[in-house]
Amino acid sequence: MIKIKDLEKIYRTEEVETVALNKLSLEVKEGEFVAVMGPSGCGKSTLLNILGLLDDPDGGSFMFNNIEVAHFNERKRADLRKHNIGFVFQSFNLIDELTVFENVELPLIYTGVKSAERKKRVEEVLDKMQIMHRRNHYPQQLSGGQQQRVAVARAVVNRPKLILADEPTGNLDSSNGNEVMQLLTDLNEQGTTIVMVTHSEHDARYSHRIIRMLDGQTVLENIMV
Amino acid sequence: MFRNYLKTAIRNLWRNKTATGINLLGLTTGLTCCLLIGLYMQHELSYDDFQSKGKRIARVIMEYTFGADVTRGNFTSTKVAPTFSRTFSEVESAIRMTQTTKVVQYGDKSFVEKKFMYADSTFFDIFSFKLLEGDPRQALMYPKNVVLTKSVAKKYFNNQSPVGKTLKVGTDGVDYLVTGVMEDCPSNSQMRFDMLASFSTLGVNQEVTYTNANYTTYLLLKDKNSFDGLQTKIDNYFKEENAKSNDPFKVTFILERFDKIHLHSPYEGFEPNNSITYIYIIAAVALLIMAIACFTYINLSTARSVERAKEVGIRKVIGAMKGQIFGQFVGESILLTLTSLVLSIGFVMLLLPWFNDLTNKQLSIASLATPFVIAFTLIIVVCIGLLAGSYPALVLSAFQPIRVLKGSFKNTGTGLLLRKSLIVFQFVISVFLIVGTFIIQSQLHYIQSKKLGYDREHVVVMPLDMKIMKVLPVLKSEFTAGSDVLSVARATNLPTHIYGGYSMNRPGLPEGTEIMVTANPVDEEFVKTVGLEIIAGSDFTRQDMEDVMHEEQEKKIYHYILNESAAKEMGWTPEEAIGKKMFLGDMRPGYVRAVVRDFHFTSLHNPIKPLVLFTEDWGRYILAKISGKDIPGTLARMESAWKKLVPHRPFEFSFLDEEYNNMYSAELRIGKVLNIFAAIAILLACLGLFGLSSYSAQQRMKEIGIRKVLGASVAHIITILSKDFIKLALIATLIAFPFAWWMGNKWLQDFTYRVNVSWWIFLVAGSLAVIIALVTVSIQAVKAALANPVKSLRSE
Ligand SMILES: Nc1ncnc2c1ncn2[C@@H]1O[C@H](COP(=O)(O)OP(=O)(O)OP(=O)(O)O)[C@@H](O)[C@H]1O
Ligand SMILES: [Mg+2]
Repeated sequence: MIKIKDLEKIYRTEEVETVALNKLSLEVKEGEFVAVMGPSGCGKSTLLNILGLLDDPDGGSFMFNNIEVAHFNERKRADLRKHNIGFVFQSFNLIDELTVFENVELPLIYTGVKSAERKKRVEEVLDKMQIMHRRNHYPQQLSGGQQQRVAVARAVVNRPKLILADEPTGNLDSSNGNEVMQLLTDLNEQGTTIVMVTHSEHDARYSHRIIRMLDGQTVLENIMV
Repeated sequence: MFRNYLKTAIRNLWRNKTATGINLLGLTTGLTCCLLIGLYMQHELSYDDFQSKGKRIARVIMEYTFGADVTRGNFTSTKVAPTFSRTFSEVESAIRMTQTTKVVQYGDKSFVEKKFMYADSTFFDIFSFKLLEGDPRQALMYPKNVVLTKSVAKKYFNNQSPVGKTLKVGTDGVDYLVTGVMEDCPSNSQMRFDMLASFSTLGVNQEVTYTNANYTTYLLLKDKNSFDGLQTKIDNYFKEENAKSNDPFKVTFILERFDKIHLHSPYEGFEPNNSITYIYIIAAVALLIMAIACFTYINLSTARSVERAKEVGIRKVIGAMKGQIFGQFVGESILLTLTSLVLSIGFVMLLLPWFNDLTNKQLSIASLATPFVIAFTLIIVVCIGLLAGSYPALVLSAFQPIRVLKGSFKNTGTGLLLRKSLIVFQFVISVFLIVGTFIIQSQLHYIQSKKLGYDREHVVVMPLDMKIMKVLPVLKSEFTAGSDVLSVARATNLPTHIYGGYSMNRPGLPEGTEIMVTANPVDEEFVKTVGLEIIAGSDFTRQDMEDVMHEEQEKKIYHYILNESAAKEMGWTPEEAIGKKMFLGDMRPGYVRAVVRDFHFTSLHNPIKPLVLFTEDWGRYILAKISGKDIPGTLARMESAWKKLVPHRPFEFSFLDEEYNNMYSAELRIGKVLNIFAAIAILLACLGLFGLSSYSAQQRMKEIGIRKVLGASVAHIITILSKDFIKLALIATLIAFPFAWWMGNKWLQDFTYRVNVSWWIFLVAGSLAVIIALVTVSIQAVKAALANPVKSLRSE
């Protein structure tokens, strides 16, 4: 599903150049659950952003479903993204002005799903995330774990093939964190490919494979059994 | 999708109550001003539109040349209309008109009709006034026929039909037969008479001369494109005519387009004209105010973009396209402007009576309720929404989602330069309007305080007609019986505006030379009553008046008082002039009694020209100088004398200083309007500044907190927060000055007598702008500086 080769990302500011990704190569197969680990500043988020078509690389190749997407313009990336990729962030990133239901509904609106169908699918996924009773609440009225469940619900409502999660449990206590990990595992078992950045060895153990990064390169891969 | 946008828009607007409030207030005020001004302009621009033949009608302006002196005027003699109809094939028909004041009586009802019009029988053919009763061809056919407007008919006859009845018109009660009733003249008509009588009634239907010019002439052309052709023919015709006679007095005529009179003509019509310049000024002011409101919106929205950044980032990650985000924010601003529109329509309805008073109009919001205007307004509102919303939308929709969501997003100068420029621009507009207002006000003050060479305080003005003339001596003695009436005079023109055109001559000048001069028939109390300063000779005497009261013209001896300019024109020093023989017009032999100091006898737009006051036993006004100690008491006493001696006419009076101010009604009005709108502009600019400074203080809460923890004083923090804004206000002031100076001078150029634009106006305007900015900004700065730092740090 994902095949990247010699990927480069360099941040330039007035004084310094930071090489965030240094000729990184990586492959993720369909249905895999991959965890990315490494010290702070090693380029994990950068990698995830490129995988999620939120950012473009400065060099190298990026095949998404056998299509070269490294050179895609913003419009094409946005189009590909909204149909194929769901995101879960450490800080939830829910829209404060929208209710739980409306937040989850949003991706469906942007992909042009009809209103009746939207309602059905949102309710379905809220039900699955056990947050149905909170559908008319605003994000501020929810606990962190509940907010992250909403975020996961929003990420999966469009039935994406790939879910990218950047430290999804980073702001949660262990029991809420485990709950979210269980959700991701369930999704993976139903066929969704997952790439997750984490600092927690415990969370990483939910995955099939751990990629360890250092200074913008992969240094080690552990295959979980 | 749309519902979702609407929902977020409403919630967003609701959540940011301060910003929304400021924007709503700004946009509503802007739109209210625009709507009011729009109503006003619509009315002004629609003048005479209802005249279906308006494009084919010409007003005839007379141009008379005397030596090097060329004068133009809107009055023509009775000869023009018949001569032109006959001579020029382009003319389909012509009409002569004149408007006067008449006392009209029916049964026991009697009123003074100030708008009593006389017109030729072609009236209803040329003009599109609707006749409700009567025959348009016949109504003005015979002498002493009169057509009434609907509301006047009601005044005299209630609901009875007046046609066939007779009214008693004038002081001698001549019977006029009512031959028709017409619709009231529309408010946007350059003639708005109440009664319309046949021109033949006047008995002046002669073709002797072009120089007895007291009437207005209009021509109806066969073809609306024949103005230029006809003008050439007229020029040639009068070139020949003038060549034939050896009269030094030359005359020709100029055609003026009827539909351009109200806004473009320097010559008055039956109703006061307006000037297209003032229409432009007021339209510009409306646009500037709207611009200020839009800029405030843009400023606040871009400044707040950091807050909105997270939302945009998330929407983009989830799949929103740039265009969708753009649409969302533009939608928000259009929603806001539409809300403002609804509010401002409410305000317009509330303010309309006041605005009508200000502009002296009867506008109604109903005139806006046409499909075209509604569609137009909606389009404009959407445009404003687009204009105000699209820049913030552009900025916001271009956010890179990852940068935003990573939290590394800072408002790194996004739109900072633009924001600063817009603040500067708002203040440029404000300072410009402040200076403009000051210049206009100081000229108006100058006009009002100007020593005119006569005393217009405490002079009561009353009308005079033939009947009153007979009792004038008794009336005078009744008036002056009390010590509160100092003197009573009679005059044909008021000293505020003397316009009678004559020519003068003296023995010793070559045969045929005649010097153009303005002259005013007066009596022996005139100089005293209006307080003219005699610099040589002495005032008219009772005997001087007796000298002109002979039945036979040949026995009359006239007496003259010249102003300095007239004496100079005659080639005399003031002292030399006394006792000299001179003539006014062809006859009127007489002697110079005195020379008075030059005084302003027309508007300050014009220079002082030669003037002659001469003895004559008629006039149109009674002037009474009163002590001013107990004005109501004095007036009551005068009224009772009047009622006793002048039963045919109610006691109507005005004050000379009012008459004077009336000459500047356009300027006074524009002055008032500008005052108000300048104040609104400044308020709106401050509102924007207030919003922005409160926002910037809020954004810098953490910084302020840290600074305070480290020991910064309140004063220091206020300085930090206000410095930038004050700098901007200063820059704006400097930019605005040259523009304001240039425009002010251009406006003043219309006045021959005017103030100089002095440096203090700029100093005051500049300081005012900066002080206002300072106060506005420091309210926020002080609040921020006094806040408890622990709070702001913890909330981070
Ligand atoms: N916008 C940027 N401009 C400049 N440098 C950047 C930018 N974003 C990231 N970097 C740099 O790129 C490198 C990789 O950053 P990245 O956010 O990918 O690290 P990370 O592995 O996700 O770290 P963490 O575990 O702390 O989240 C870092 O050295 C960082 O300083
Ligand atoms: Mg990271």
